[in-house]
Amino acid sequence: MTETFEAPSFLGRTWTCPFCPLACDHLGVEVGAGADAAALVLRGGDCERARRAVARFGASPSDATSQVDGDACDLATAVAAAARLLAASRQPLFGGLGTDVAGARALYPLACSMGAICDADMGEALMRGLRALQDRGQFTATLAEVRTRADLIVFVGGVPIDLAPLIGLRCGIGDTQVPARRVIVLGPAAGDAATLAAWSGQGGVRVEILPLHGDLFDTLALLCAGVAERPLPAAPEALRALALRLRAARYAVLVGTLARLPLHGELLVEAMHRLIDSLNRSTRAAALWIGGGDGAATVNQTFTWLSGLPLRTRAGPAGLEHEPLIFGTARLLADDAVDALLWVSSFDAETQAPPNRLPMVVLGHPALAAAAGRRSGLPTVFIPVATPGIGSAGHLFRTDGTVLMPLSAVYRDRLPTVADVAGLILSALREGKPS
Amino acid sequence: MSSVLLRGGRVIDPAHAGSGQHRDLALREGRIVEPGAGETFDLEIDASGCVVMAGGIDMHTHIGGGKVNLARLLMAEDHRAGPNPIALPRNPLELASCGNCAPGTLATGYRYVEMGYTAAFEPAMVPSNARHAHMEMADVPILDHGAYVMLGNDELFLQMLAEGGPDCLNFAQIRDYTAWTLQATKALGVKVVNPAGISAFKFNQRKLDVDERHVHWQVTPRQVVHTLARALRELGVPHPLHIHGSNLGVAGNIRSTLETIAALEGLPAHLTHVQFHAYGTEGAKKFSSAALQLAEAVNENPQISIDVGQIMFGQTVTASGDTMRQHAQSDLASPRKWVGADIEGMAGCGVVPFRYREQSFVNALQWVIGLEIFLLVRNPWQVVLTTDHPNGGPFTSYPHLIRLLMDRGFREERLAKLHPEVAADCALRSIARELTLDEIAILTRAAPARLLGLADRGQLGVGAAADIAIYREQADREAMFRTPEYVFKDGNLVARAGRVTATPVGGTHFVAPGYDPAIEKTLRRHWQAHGSINFDHVAIGVEELCRCCNGGRLLPAECHPGAS
Repeated sequence: MTETFEAPSFLGRTWTCPFCPLACDHLGVEVGAGADAAALVLRGGDCERARRAVARFGASPSDATSQVDGDACDLATAVAAAARLLAASRQPLFGGLGTDVAGARALYPLACSMGAICDADMGEALMRGLRALQDRGQFTATLAEVRTRADLIVFVGGVPIDLAPLIGLRCGIGDTQVPARRVIVLGPAAGDAATLAAWSGQGGVRVEILPLHGDLFDTLALLCAGVAERPLPAAPEALRALALRLRAARYAVLVGTLARLPLHGELLVEAMHRLIDSLNRSTRAAALWIGGGDGAATVNQTFTWLSGLPLRTRAGPAGLEHEPLIFGTARLLADDAVDALLWVSSFDAETQAPPNRLPMVVLGHPALAAAAGRRSGLPTVFIPVATPGIGSAGHLFRTDGTVLMPLSAVYRDRLPTVADVAGLILSALREGKPS
Repeated sequence: MSSVLLRGGRVIDPAHAGSGQHRDLALREGRIVEPGAGETFDLEIDASGCVVMAGGIDMHTHIGGGKVNLARLLMAEDHRAGPNPIALPRNPLELASCGNCAPGTLATGYRYVEMGYTAAFEPAMVPSNARHAHMEMADVPILDHGAYVMLGNDELFLQMLAEGGPDCLNFAQIRDYTAWTLQATKALGVKVVNPAGISAFKFNQRKLDVDERHVHWQVTPRQVVHTLARALRELGVPHPLHIHGSNLGVAGNIRSTLETIAALEGLPAHLTHVQFHAYGTEGAKKFSSAALQLAEAVNENPQISIDVGQIMFGQTVTASGDTMRQHAQSDLASPRKWVGADIEGMAGCGVVPFRYREQSFVNALQWVIGLEIFLLVRNPWQVVLTTDHPNGGPFTSYPHLIRLLMDRGFREERLAKLHPEVAADCALRSIARELTLDEIAILTRAAPARLLGLADRGQLGVGAAADIAIYREQADREAMFRTPEYVFKDGNLVARAGRVTATPVGGTHFVAPGYDPAIEKTLRRHWQAHGSINFDHVAIGVEELCRCCNGGRLLPAECHPGAS
């Protein structure tokens, strides 16, 4: 952990990484350097996820073209075909939703115009947090609060290194401003021991791994009871000690990862917040949730402020319907409840639409072209779009939900943005071009 | 349409002499103009039988930003009608958007405009959330908007205050930091919420009186309030310090409120949602109205202005930056759930649903206290009509509130329905005052415009912006103010008889006070040591603001440093 928050000097300007929920802005991107001069290269420090994602972009702007049923065409032709395809649908689904605020602002009126159901690629994880919030509420911290004040950080259910590789750095591990910081992993995942070994001693941090007692549900229930000082004769000593440590901490932060929670994970989210509520009666504590990357949290926030309702909502015949369970992508596809799919993935070169037998429009990273090519008998439109933070500027919410990070372009792309394309499709629909 | 003639309306324009006369009003290219002899207009409207006022201005309404969106997420039940979805708008100009106490931004704009409002100001923008707040405000259609940025709980400010000692030897540095923050976040003013108290809660303090020390920084709310008010005064920011005082909602908090006024030592300031800060401890229940004491203090201090934060009965949700007080009140949540957050070493938030009940002694008294304040402050230019939307109730209740203020019979009828002890004993019963149309126009447009430094708004003089609401005269003031006949925004007809007719993008009001750029070295060091984003990403540039604001107009307000 030698990274600092210094801006990389070679770049001379700041860059925000859009490829994970942490949206770090201390790294940089160099054009046309390194072993593969044809690709972008990450500079100023390392992050495996960012390095991989950045390498999926060429050193110069992409000249990928749109396709209709696998045949290359110009943008206008693709937009017209997309409008026709969507106009023919009785119940479209807008899935993926990998875009920024501008993309979401433009997708909302398009969704309203055709009563589309909207759900993000990581919608299942998003809804776990959302349903717990709707039922019970929450108490959360932000990255700067964790970095500067958390004397006890408990990773519940493992450290999300795969999802957010620099989570340790962003939580202030290696930073000496909180003396004797303690990090505990409750219910470690594979690889966490090595992660903790690397963190141990950095900036005086002490690390510890605690196994679960039963599953996460059992463990958190026991811990909640322990923190509330209820007698727990059956609880293992280690959990009782953790409860005491949480009560003794000045600012305990429980870090959870929504995508890793099992079925009924919303109950675990509630349990964590119950625990935090209990702690906040005598000391201070908060949660930090890792998730909502690839635009999911951003589109959720934007749709919420525009309409009042979060994702998994449609402007249906009866009104604005929000169905956090029924309007999930996997369920809708399995039930044949939708008859067209608009898939949006402008960040991730690998987030393909789930297998389906529907007419489909893909607004995606150029590398998704192959997966959205000719499909036998199924109308398919592919429109390559700029990635916010690479080919266009933009805005993306960070994992803690209060900081909206500005994204700057590495170069000016030739590709349109999701907002451009959504606006063109809506105009085409309004002008009645598709018939 | 580029020109409009409003014929024969009763023009209520208390900013100018002759208010209340029947006369024509001409609009051209978005401004009010002197009608020339024989001039023709694109549209002529017969306004006889109508009252013509400037567009309404809500200077304290939580319309956009992180905590407002959390309120929307929390209040799923606010976005359905029992088990049924909320019907889609029938007006093709409107996009689907719903909610009563936590409406979507689109619904917020439509509902305000239908009531004759043309501007609304978000009072609690967290610096680290400024981009988000501007995005949301820009997605409130039609209304012009702006925000007050929160200072006085950020660790850097408290650290500077501590370092300066009791004589504030580093005042220039704090003033520069204040100016820089206004510039960086594109705010119109500065708000302090529970001075030093949000930070104190992070250090596990559960209350903070005006002269009590923050356990870590050892500074007091008195110092915070005085220093910020002085900084804004010296910077010449038109809107003085916007203060959400200490001990919100606590019985006996009138003492804190009066101490806060004293802490200002004659500096101008705006005390917000004072209803929540005007409680005594008299009576068997140790909870009483201190409206009279508060009104006397306001009457004696012409440099102080207030907005009331009237409560209205029914379901709402309270969204506040005051984590300390919201946590304390979270056990009263109805329904039983709440959201809180510690934010970025600079702020916090708490979102707690409330149902104000007529038969609750406390709620009934809160209702009474708000009305007493409205009616006991003598100079209407010192008072602004708010419910602190949504904290006291949703903004859609304004027409009802206006009727309560203008119609004593109606007020007494409503009072009789309240908790019997309150209904029988309150001072409100003996207050005969009924506000006039001129006074309502001051409370809802002229005073807020003046308090925010918006010289060309809130009035109908030649050269003013053509933001105009035309109400059909009716004895039932609630019905009258519910649905204006016509609403114009910058000269364009945007609503007709309660139906939105155009949805232009509103403009952003902000200030850009000057500062010594040397402060940025200190700030850069602070962000590197304690922040979570690159310092170069903190400030919002003008170009970025344009993108956040959907291309709406930028409306910088002038600062007048050194003016008194």
